Order: sequence, then structure tokens, then C-alpha cells
Amino acid sequence: MKFIDTHHDQWHTITGEDGPVVTLTPTAYSLLTFAQWHAIRAQWPQHLPVGVSFGNDEEIESLEEDLPRLSLVALHFPKWVDGRAYSQARILRSRYRFPGEVRATGEVLVDMMALLKRTGFDAVVLRADQDRAAAERALTFFAGHYQGDVEDNRPIFARSGT
Amino acid sequence: MYQYTSFDRQFVKQRAAQYRDQLERNLAGTLGDDEFRPLRLQNGWYVQRHAPMLRVAVPYGDLTSRQMRTFAKIAREYDRGYAHLTTRQNVQFNWIPLDRSADVMDVLAEADLHGIQTSGNCIRNTTTDCFAGIAPDEIVDPRPYCEVLRQWSTLHPEFAFLPRKFKIAVSGAAEDRAATAWHDIGLHLLKNDAGEVGFKVLVGGGMGRTPVVGTVIREFLPWQQILVFIEAIVRVYNRHGRRDNMYKARIKILVKAEGPKFIADVEEEFKNILEHDVDGAAHLIPQAELDRVARSFVVPQGVAPLVSQFHVPADAPVAFKRWVERNVHPHKVSGYRAVTLSLKRAGQAPGDATDTQFEQAADLADRFSHGEIRVSHDQNLVLPWVREDELFALWEAAKSSSFASPNIGLLTDMINCPGGDFCALANARSIPIAAAIADRFADLDELYDIGDIDLHMSGCINSCGHHHSGHIGILGVDKDGKEWYQISLGGSDGSRISGDATPGKVIGPSFAADEVPDVIEAVIETYRHQRAANELFIDTVKRVGLDAFKSAANAARRSTAKAA
Repeated sequence: MKFIDTHHDQWHTITGEDGPVVTLTPTAYSLLTFAQWHAIRAQWPQHLPVGVSFGNDEEIESLEEDLPRLSLVALHFPKWVDGRAYSQARILRSRYRFPGEVRATGEVLVDMMALLKRTGFDAVVLRADQDRAAAERALTFFAGHYQGDVEDNRPIFARSGT
Repeated sequence: MYQYTSFDRQFVKQRAAQYRDQLERNLAGTLGDDEFRPLRLQNGWYVQRHAPMLRVAVPYGDLTSRQMRTFAKIAREYDRGYAHLTTRQNVQFNWIPLDRSADVMDVLAEADLHGIQTSGNCIRNTTTDCFAGIAPDEIVDPRPYCEVLRQWSTLHPEFAFLPRKFKIAVSGAAEDRAATAWHDIGLHLLKNDAGEVGFKVLVGGGMGRTPVVGTVIREFLPWQQILVFIEAIVRVYNRHGRRDNMYKARIKILVKAEGPKFIADVEEEFKNILEHDVDGAAHLIPQAELDRVARSFVVPQGVAPLVSQFHVPADAPVAFKRWVERNVHPHKVSGYRAVTLSLKRAGQAPGDATDTQFEQAADLADRFSHGEIRVSHDQNLVLPWVREDELFALWEAAKSSSFASPNIGLLTDMINCPGGDFCALANARSIPIAAAIADRFADLDELYDIGDIDLHMSGCINSCGHHHSGHIGILGVDKDGKEWYQISLGGSDGSRISGDATPGKVIGPSFAADEVPDVIEAVIETYRHQRAANELFIDTVKRVGLDAFKSAANAARRSTAKAA
């Protein structure tokens, strides 16, 4: 799991004074909203790294055709107990085989770590008050799980070879 | 019984260690109460009226005598000497201080017990028929499937924060003893014409403010596909269930709102998993895995068919005859019976047992039932492997532990939540009402004359006492800070005598607490006057309609007479 320090992050969002701007200039490592990406994707140069920040109430299927061009998808937790983004991540990885970074943003807490990792997130922006050491410890409690996940698709019965 | 593997045992201990870390961070102030709350809930820790309540998971209601003794120990050493059995086959403690909670999790883990997902907006403990594996009317033993489901649902990473709680019940017999239609997912094991095993799948049942009976989404799903199909259902729910209003967040609301589209979405998701996902077929259950799990659920060593020649001697005590009639159940192994230890008796809240009674039940299980004991949906205990020739000895032993009330299925065998005496959610108390009703109907001859009847009582609309499905339902409501009780008639849990699952109908404005026993009596008297020969209460209600019952109930009003 990659812990993102927002002060030293190569990715940057594009915001105007009144929120997201629609007209923008393609620059490397832009993390765009889905609306921004939609507006500019026709002009976005191939191979210029771009990421999309995706709402948890949007249909992840609508992102499918864009995935080959994206290096990063940021999935959002408006509240940490809102578990929709876990399903989105899972579909990105298992169904669309998205190989880029899947980053958790919003209310990202220590005790979500194992769930995030197992559903396909590989980067997190912890909420500012969260302790990184505790987050790393939260990844260590279980040696294994019953059901398959994005890390190992096989449930325990397929792993143990019975 | 399921035998824990080293993996299972390790897993529960790891869960206890994880919980201790969370508790310590909470006590140290680095994990705030609001953020600790969902974490402790998913380990069974509620904060209730007096102290935290701990709900311990009893997967599909199955326990060993050793686990019963662990409950006794916890009740004695950490609580105030008793615990409560729930309609979802779990066990609840009421008085354990939160700072001892991690220690209790360790004690539980030593006995292969835990509180995983007994609360919170996640997939809860799977429940089933308390006569699973022993009922003569069983088509397929549900226990191996329940265990596979337990494993699959335990700490599922995608489904830990659903819009709302999610409950699954499985039945494998002709008679539905698990109220499956009232669950988020209800599963009926059955065989098709070719003799293959599959599930009839219901989705979107639930009680609460909006009682809804589950909709059939698949008439026959091959058993191998059940995990994938449930994954599809829960994923559609996780993505599309409402999160803006907790009273509209259960899957039943989504199923109702979307109708056929919901079913189409689930079927499409199911297809997508199998056809498009990486290793999408990995969760199809192989025969070898089912066989491996099923090996835990064989007839215990030492149980073999005997010539069944049990009959109650003419000179046997009347109380024994009654006990055999009500508390002893048929068994698929000749010469054996299942026996219900009634937890519905004078002087104790329905479903409660003391530490001593847990010990005694464990002793009875060891002596008469190969160390196995079950929690029933009706909040009683069941001994599944009792030899017919030991019934009399069991009855005598059960009597001395106050387990022998011969009232199973009768009016005093009521389902009851802990209510306002314990529960922070409750609007009204249920235990004193239950006691007053039990008091009023203490006469066994009268109880037997009234016959089979489901009386269900909840202290609030969350419906833990399943009032919607009672032939008589009592619901505690709060008006102006006072306790009132709404009474409904004609509900059904979906059992054979009750008919298709349906919520009861309210018979008028709520009653005052001290009117309730009179109203119940008036309703019962109306039944006794109106019934045809051998007609059960529920059938009379269905035949004659509510009006006669309403007027009788209204005539019993005193303080609420004006309002009505």
C-alpha cells in the first residue's frame, strides 16, 4: 500500500476559483474530475499521464472505455462507512483488469486498510489526523482470509487444494 | 457439528487481537468514539441503556456443551449472571464494561466463539432451522451450506459497509422453521426433478417500519453457484441501495423500488462475474469442498437407529405427557427425538438463562445429546440427539433446571426482544408485558385449550421480537414519553400452520401497558367463542376477520377508552 503525502504528490488536481474549470491545458499527472476528463479527453495527448477522480455514486461502467488511457483512478469515500467505492475498485481490477493506480481519497481511516487493499486499492490518502504506523499495523492482523479477493482471487477452499 | 480448523481458530484469535488494538486506540483517545462505533458493532458490541451489550455469534445456532460453559463463565465473571438468546440464534450479554471487552473476546476465542458481524451494516450471522440435520421432513441438510456461507461472508472486504444490515436465513425442510421470507435473503434448499440440489432464492424480505415479504428471484439455483449469486445480489445492493435515509436503506426498499430491474441487474452482475471477472468461477463451490464441510455434519458417533417403541405409559405424570406432546419432536433417526428446553417460564424473561442454567444445559447436552445443543429461532434451546428411552430421565433433569415448561408453540412460548429494560433503541419495555401475559395465562389447561399460537412482541419498530409475523403481534411505541402498545393480528412467519408469510394487521390505536393483558385475553376469548372445531387461532382470525377481535379489544380499554 502506498501512502500518499499530498505535499509531495506528483498528481495535481485542477480547480478554478468556482470549482472545477472546464477549459484546461493538458499537463502531465493531472488528476481530473470525471466531468473535466469528459470535456478534454478528445484533445488529451496520448501518453501524457492523466488520472480521474470518480464519485462513488457514479456508475463505474461509464469509465470502462477510458481506462486504457488512465494511469490513476481515485475513488472517493465521502464518509468512511459508505462502502460503495469498494465495489467500484473491485470491478476496476477484477472485471476491467485496470493495471494503474487505484487510490482512496476522502475519509480514509486506519481501520479501512485491509478492506482497501483486498478490494484493489494500492494507494491511500489518509485523512490528515490518521496515524500511518497504525494504518500499517492494521494491514498485519490477518494471515489469511476465507473468501477470494483482488489480491488472491481464490477462496480458501481453492487455495488449500481440497 | 462443524469442527474448527487451525485456520478458523487462528482467524478468530487474529480478530480478537485486531479488536484489542482498536479498543486500545479508543481508550487512548486516538480512535474517537464515533469512529470506533462501527468497528465495535462489527464485533458485536453495542452501547445500550446500562452498559455495552455483547452479541455473540452462534453460526446457524449450533453449539457445543463447552461453548455453553463459556457463556456461563462470561455471564458469571464478566456480566451479572445471565444472558439472552435471540431470534437470530445468537447469545447476548448486557452488563460487560467496555474496558473488559477485549478480554471477553479472548475468552470467546478460546472456545471458537466471536462476535464477528453480529451487528453493523454488514452480512450478519446466517440462521437456519434448529432441527437441521435431524428433522424427518428435511429435504437437504442446510448446515454445510450455512458453514460455506459463514466462511464466505466472514470479513468479506467489499461488503463490510453496506447501506444497512443484511441477514440471510436458510431452510432445507418442507416446513420453514427459519422465517426465510422475512430475511434480506431467504434460501430454500430443494431438489429438482433430476434429484439435483439447488436453492430457491428469495430477496428483499424484512421487518422494521416497512414489513416486506421476500420476492422469489430464482426458483432453482444450482447449489454450486450460491456464493456467486449472493455476491451479485449484495454487490447490486452495495452499489444501489439507498444511503440517504437509514429507514429506507434495507435491500427490501431497493427491491420494491426497482422491481424487475433489480432482478435483471442481479442476473447481469451474476453473469458478468462468471464470464468476465478474473477467476470469476473461483467461488463456484466444488463438490470436494462441500463434502469436506459436510463431513463435520454427520450423525454423531454412537447414534444409530434403534427400534422405536416409545410410548408414554398410562400412569406417567400428566406433566410428562404434556412435555412429550409439546417439547419433544420427531427425529429422522429411529429411536431418537429432539427435545426443546423451554426458556419461557415464570419468573424469567423469555429467552433468558442464568449462568447456572447455561451450565445445566451443557450438562444435559453432554448426558443426553452427545454434547450438542442448539439455539432456536423461538429463543429456546434444543437438544438434537436424545434417545427415546432417556426422555423420562431428561424430563426429570430438565425440570430441576426450570427447562421443562411444556409450552412449546403455545401462547406463553412467546418471542420477545429485551425491550426498554435493556435496549437503548426501545420505545417501551417488553419484559414486564411478557410477564403479565405469562401470569394471566398460567393455567396449562387453558393454554392447551388455546393451542398453537405465535405471540411475538417487540419493544420498538426495529422488530427484534418479530411482532409483524406473530399471529398476535405486540409493538411498543412511544407517545409523549409514555409507553404504549400496538396490537396486530394475523401475521405469519411462513410456517405451515401460519400460512404464507405476511405481516399482521393493527387492530386499532395503541393500548396502555396495563390494558395489554386484558386485550390479549379478550382476543383469545373471542377466538374461543368463534372457533370451529379444532380450528387454530390463526385460522379463526383469517376466517372471521378482524372486526370481532377489534370490538373485543376495544371493550377491554380503560385509560385509552376515550381516545379510541
